[in-house]
Amino acid sequence: MNGSKSLGIALASVLLGGGALALAGFALASDTPHQAALNCVRTSATACSLQLSTYPDSLEGAHGKTGGAHPTWVTYANDNLVVPENTTINVTIHQYDGGGSLNDPFFDQVMGTIGGTMVYNGKTVSHVDPNNIGHTFTLRNIPGNGKTLFVSVPLPADYRNPTITIGTGQYPKPNIIKFSFKTGGPGTYEWNCEYPCGDARVSSGFGYAMSSFGYMSGTLTVK
Amino acid sequence: MTDSDNDKTSLKSFFWLWGILTIVGVVLGLYGPSHLMPKSMSPNMHLTILTMVIFTVAAAPVAAGVYAATIYVLRNWTHKGDEPPPPAKPVRENGIIVATWVSISVLLTLFLLIWGLGALAEDNASASSNPLIVNVIAQQWVWTFQYPGTHVESNSLYLPEGREVEFHVSSDDVTHGFWIVQMGVQVDANPGVITTIHTTPNVLGTFDVRCEQFCGLNHAFMDALGDVVTPQQFSTWLAAQPQRT
Amino acid sequence: MTTTLEHTAVAEESQGGGLARYQNAGTAVAGGVLFAFLFWLIARKTMDPTGEAFNDQVTTILGCGWIIGFWFGIGAFNGPMRWLLGRDHSRADDLYYAGHNQGRARYWKYTTDHKVVGVQYIIVTMGLLGVGGLLAMAIRTELIMPGNHFVNQQVYNAFISLHGMIMILALIVAIAGPWANFVMPIMIGARDMAFPRLNALSLWTLVSAASLLVAVAAVGGLTMGWVVLAPITDQNGVGMDLFALTIVVFAVSSTVGGVNVVCTILTMRTKGMTLERVPIFVWGAITTSALALYAFPFFFLVEVLQLLDRNVATSFFVSGGGGTGWLQANLFWLMGHPEVYVILTPAVAACFEIAAVMARKPVFSYRTAVAAMVGLSGLSILVWAHHMFTSGWAPTLGGPFMVTTEIISIPTGLFFLVLIGTLWRGHIWMKLPTIWMFGFIANFIIGGITGIYLSDIPIDNQLHGTMFVTAHFHYIFVGSVLFGAVAALAFWFPKVTGRFLDEFLGRISFWLVFIGVQVTFLAMFASGLKGMPRRVSSYSVIFDHTNLITTIGAYIIMSGMLVLLGAIIKSWGHGEPSGPNPWHANSLEWMVPTPPPLENFDVMPVITEDPYNFREEMVRS
Repeated sequence: MNGSKSLGIALASVLLGGGALALAGFALASDTPHQAALNCVRTSATACSLQLSTYPDSLEGAHGKTGGAHPTWVTYANDNLVVPENTTINVTIHQYDGGGSLNDPFFDQVMGTIGGTMVYNGKTVSHVDPNNIGHTFTLRNIPGNGKTLFVSVPLPADYRNPTITIGTGQYPKPNIIKFSFKTGGPGTYEWNCEYPCGDARVSSGFGYAMSSFGYMSGTLTVK
Repeated sequence: MTDSDNDKTSLKSFFWLWGILTIVGVVLGLYGPSHLMPKSMSPNMHLTILTMVIFTVAAAPVAAGVYAATIYVLRNWTHKGDEPPPPAKPVRENGIIVATWVSISVLLTLFLLIWGLGALAEDNASASSNPLIVNVIAQQWVWTFQYPGTHVESNSLYLPEGREVEFHVSSDDVTHGFWIVQMGVQVDANPGVITTIHTTPNVLGTFDVRCEQFCGLNHAFMDALGDVVTPQQFSTWLAAQPQRT
Repeated sequence: MTTTLEHTAVAEESQGGGLARYQNAGTAVAGGVLFAFLFWLIARKTMDPTGEAFNDQVTTILGCGWIIGFWFGIGAFNGPMRWLLGRDHSRADDLYYAGHNQGRARYWKYTTDHKVVGVQYIIVTMGLLGVGGLLAMAIRTELIMPGNHFVNQQVYNAFISLHGMIMILALIVAIAGPWANFVMPIMIGARDMAFPRLNALSLWTLVSAASLLVAVAAVGGLTMGWVVLAPITDQNGVGMDLFALTIVVFAVSSTVGGVNVVCTILTMRTKGMTLERVPIFVWGAITTSALALYAFPFFFLVEVLQLLDRNVATSFFVSGGGGTGWLQANLFWLMGHPEVYVILTPAVAACFEIAAVMARKPVFSYRTAVAAMVGLSGLSILVWAHHMFTSGWAPTLGGPFMVTTEIISIPTGLFFLVLIGTLWRGHIWMKLPTIWMFGFIANFIIGGITGIYLSDIPIDNQLHGTMFVTAHFHYIFVGSVLFGAVAALAFWFPKVTGRFLDEFLGRISFWLVFIGVQVTFLAMFASGLKGMPRRVSSYSVIFDHTNLITTIGAYIIMSGMLVLLGAIIKSWGHGEPSGPNPWHANSLEWMVPTPPPLENFDVMPVITEDPYNFREEMVRS
């Protein structure tokens, strides 16, 4: 047996396999793109502002004009939020969606914001009706990393008639929710909605849009 | 091959190897679990680590015996080349060896069982007739904790030191796994059912709650922070929390 | 004395086969696609499009269409149909179905020859291991550091689910598939399996199921872990329906295969081949098949109920609807634990066989070996609830299940006694199969002992659901079963191909995989002990070093497996010729020519002793 030839075949197998793996990896990764980053707009040396929206469908926002694979799913328009470190983040959320009761009324509270409050259509509140929730914006801390960042804000449901046209969709006048929180050092955090808005058959409303990345969930990167 | 490999004295190196590997295993057993596992904050976790140590020490001679025998076989009785070696002396049965082996494994298993059942009884034993009740509610992908009788609900788990805590665990949606990492207790959170576990925190400090049952998209991030505080601090904290109705 | 079928039927051969002459894997796929399309059309028209389960119903019906069409296309229904019409197979037909004089084309057909089926199983296993292995590498690439970098958590969850299921399927068939089919009938002196057509059915149902499993990825994937416990499966899209259908068909495949192996061993042994004279691997084949016959009906049942829950709104597993997820968990683990021994036993039996032949010495205490395998299989049906120690279901059963589980360490220990007893004072020929067999011994002891920890409830209360469990069963599945599978492949490869599996590449591969397994899974034990949960796409920074080491180790394993693949491809066509009996063994598979002719024996052998009496005069060049 020719040793060098065998070695050549061995190396070729490794390279071919590695190549196949890389190709497969890229194919899979490109199949589920992370949406383009939504950057926090700096308003002063210590503050910046971030604007989000929650829609009852996916026609508007980062899923494309036709709504992507699931045009009827509820969505936050962006799943990839980028904010600066050690800054006050002033968030405005336009909430266009209806809703109902929380599974766990715990999430009717405003938690982790500056002052423990939010401004809901001009009024400062610390909690809202747990039976009238559209979504929540819940940003979780990741224990073990030595960093604490927990923010949870309820977004009351909106039952007004659709009167506004955005892109191809008709939406009601939105509920406007404003709140602020402070970031620490760099890191990536996960956020998602804790209102069961994802329609599953029997269990809990956490299926479909709630169980698919990029609709009712995303990341917040502190840079 | 000469007949020297049938000579009993040549087994000396096997026993040496066995002894050395056993010592390695015992040392690994004494230092490995306690070094790698999270610091113990409850009697349950203490018992878990102790059981790990004891099982490793008990298993060390067994594993070492197999390794020593394998290495000894490899050192003494292997042949290379393209032609097969001549047939070896056939040994089809050896009742004494089989009986000894079975007896030893039965004894070892009995030891493991007696220790394990004892530890299980100790694990399940309730230390107090008046435990602190904490309702644990799992929802995809957050833990919340209620303290019955107080209308307090929190997403971090505060516990007083030295008092037995009974957790009543349930889920609002799918099955989750409630696990206090530093206290060595786990139970699933099921929808429509309340499962219970209890433990007694005995060390002050922070700890981690993790989900150990796959629960969907953000399972990896379903953690909660915990803190064991003095009973006085606990009362103060409880009083300071917003009351929910 | 004995005239073979081959001689008498050769004249009518040209008339044989009938419809089967036009059927192969291509028509199977075409039939599958056609039926899937037709069923899809029918489902769209007949199901209520406003119903909640509409998409599930359409997907399930489409999946059934694929399966039925595939079976039609490959020719699975030919025989029963002809029997029904009173035109049963003639000898010439049987000969055609056995692949007589069809060259390589027979590997792509509904061929009944057990040797063809064995080779087909090798190819299917390698394909499944390849896909599952790529998924494993994707998983480890994601876990190289904390945070989601390579893929997001949804894609990661899909990776772990498919990796788990594909690897389980691959390992169930990895040894029993190729070798209980290729060599087992020759070992016992049979002309073929007891039911040759069921043998082909078992293989092609597996292919139809495995292709559906790959299709799961195309319809949104399965993101709920391979155990797919209710109620979380409810949140999965239509990928779950195809997955459940895959399992249902796979259970049919393994039942058909299991019945065939058991019946063959019980009824087809040649004269003098008593159950104490069969090569020890035959005992492994019959215990694993009998156990599969017990276990997989539970898998079938659990996924049928799951399909009903999803498609027609029954509530077997729906709490609040009179059902419970614990019912599913119980049914699943009633299958799930015996299945581990379905996977393990053939590897152990193959290692016994290899140890005896390569040490030129009889299996030490043959009866102990048989008792250990049978005892292990029997005990394994009594231990399922140890997977549910921390579920909160029936805490009072914790103690009893702990007892049954720990008793399993007694028959497991006997495996080591038999292996070491066989090798002790042997004249061990260090060839490729021997080396992989030693790897099996070294890894199996670690996998076995870490299982004892997990059977102990106070420890399981900490380590359940952690990477420690993952590392434990990977030491069993990769460290032991895969090593046993490669040892078996290297051992019987010359009988299949007439050539040796390349010794040089095989040894490189061994060292890469062996070192890779230690690096990967020892570091994974450390992650688990530190408290890292399983099935997570990201983790706390305190686990970063051990995960990095695990990922490096996984890449080493991958390199080794690719070298092995290279060795198999190279040796299959251009390996060193081996002759019919390269290991100078006594069992019947080595007495027939290589490749073995159709129907294996010209004259049926008569057996007077077991195959482990190695004699000097056998050693010839």
